[in-house]
Amino acid sequence: MLATTSVARSVYRILRDLHLYAGLFVSSFILVFAVSAIQLNHSLMPWGGRSASPAAVRTVRVEVRDSDNSLDVARQVRSQIGVAGEIGYVNRKAGSSRISFPIESPGRLDKVKVDLAAGVATIDHTTTGAWDGAIYLHKMPGPHNVSIRGNWIFTRLWGWLADGTVYLLLFLSASGIYLWTVLKADRRAGLLFLGGGALSFVALVLAIVT
Amino acid sequence: MWTRKLHNYLGLYCLLFIWLFAISGLVLNHSKWPVGQFWKTRQESTTQRAITRPLANGDVAIAAELMKQLGIVGEIGDSKRDAAGRAFDFQVVKPGQVFRVEARLDSAFAKVTEIRVNAWGVLDALHKFTGVRMDAPTQSRDWILTRIWSLAMDALAVGLVILVCSGLYLWYRLPAKRAMGVVALAAGAACCAFFLYGWGTALT
Repeated sequence: MLATTSVARSVYRILRDLHLYAGLFVSSFILVFAVSAIQLNHSLMPWGGRSASPAAVRTVRVEVRDSDNSLDVARQVRSQIGVAGEIGYVNRKAGSSRISFPIESPGRLDKVKVDLAAGVATIDHTTTGAWDGAIYLHKMPGPHNVSIRGNWIFTRLWGWLADGTVYLLLFLSASGIYLWTVLKADRRAGLLFLGGGALSFVALVLAIVT
Repeated sequence: MWTRKLHNYLGLYCLLFIWLFAISGLVLNHSKWPVGQFWKTRQESTTQRAITRPLANGDVAIAAELMKQLGIVGEIGDSKRDAAGRAFDFQVVKPGQVFRVEARLDSAFAKVTEIRVNAWGVLDALHKFTGVRMDAPTQSRDWILTRIWSLAMDALAVGLVILVCSGLYLWYRLPAKRAMGVVALAAGAACCAFFLYGWGTALT
């Protein structure tokens, strides 16, 4: 009996500490997702974001080995124009020597147009800012252009961190439930809040879906 | 004491909402997973329906009148009509269902295509169901349930901010946990700032 109590106490202490430290680590990520969710929900983009005018336009000579794989061509251009970031998509008409694509990273956007025959790339650079950066991160890697997504190492890293945020959030909620059930004094009120939340969730989802 | 209660009770109230957005967010980031393939398994059906020419003016008002005639509810999406005013096409969206209506106002009939997706598709749609788009800031929500759901999204976002702030305060009240806590907090904040400010561009 004593041994069981001692194990239960150890589990409680370990889970409480893990809940605390995991929560502290993930708190910045949660804030970024929460604030950008409000922005997305109200189309809020202070200071223009992606619709701001390009800050600079420049042309660069490029030497590219042409290929049927448009992403491969865009990658070669990216490495020669000195711009780092994720290639969002690639536009190229069949048989055309012109190719265009955006290079995106949180807070900046470079629209690149390349004339492969002439070997010239034109780059429109826009600084989109931290607010746009938060939205960009919220949507990355996302469900679109899956075949080319993750062509920049930091998009892949962010994808892992975004997944990690979800797993930590699930752990925090599960450990939070355990820690709450141990507090006998809070059980009744906690059940009311849990039930109230579940009821409003189910009612709302059913009203929307059915 | 009240901060701990606030943290506990708010977390419990938001639990299912958090799970919905967390799990659907994970599936959105992994659309190659079998559960993310809901669009491929969609069910589509098309019917021809009789309509009466709407008297309303404006795309949203015309769509709303036609929806009433066709018994469709949801958020009005993209619409287009020809210059002569004979053809009027619009889309109605609700999580799990999309209706494409092609109305021929001169001949008083409408072709209605209904698309249904499975429960994973519903989760995906709920995650993104705001009724507005970043590239169309003037677009407004026209379905009451879209407004309520977007309010719930705002409430959850604010709730998460409160959970974070109350958690930070509860940690601050535990002197024995401060040193390790600072390490965890700083590691997360530095990591987040690195990505938020795009500092990775300087390294590649």
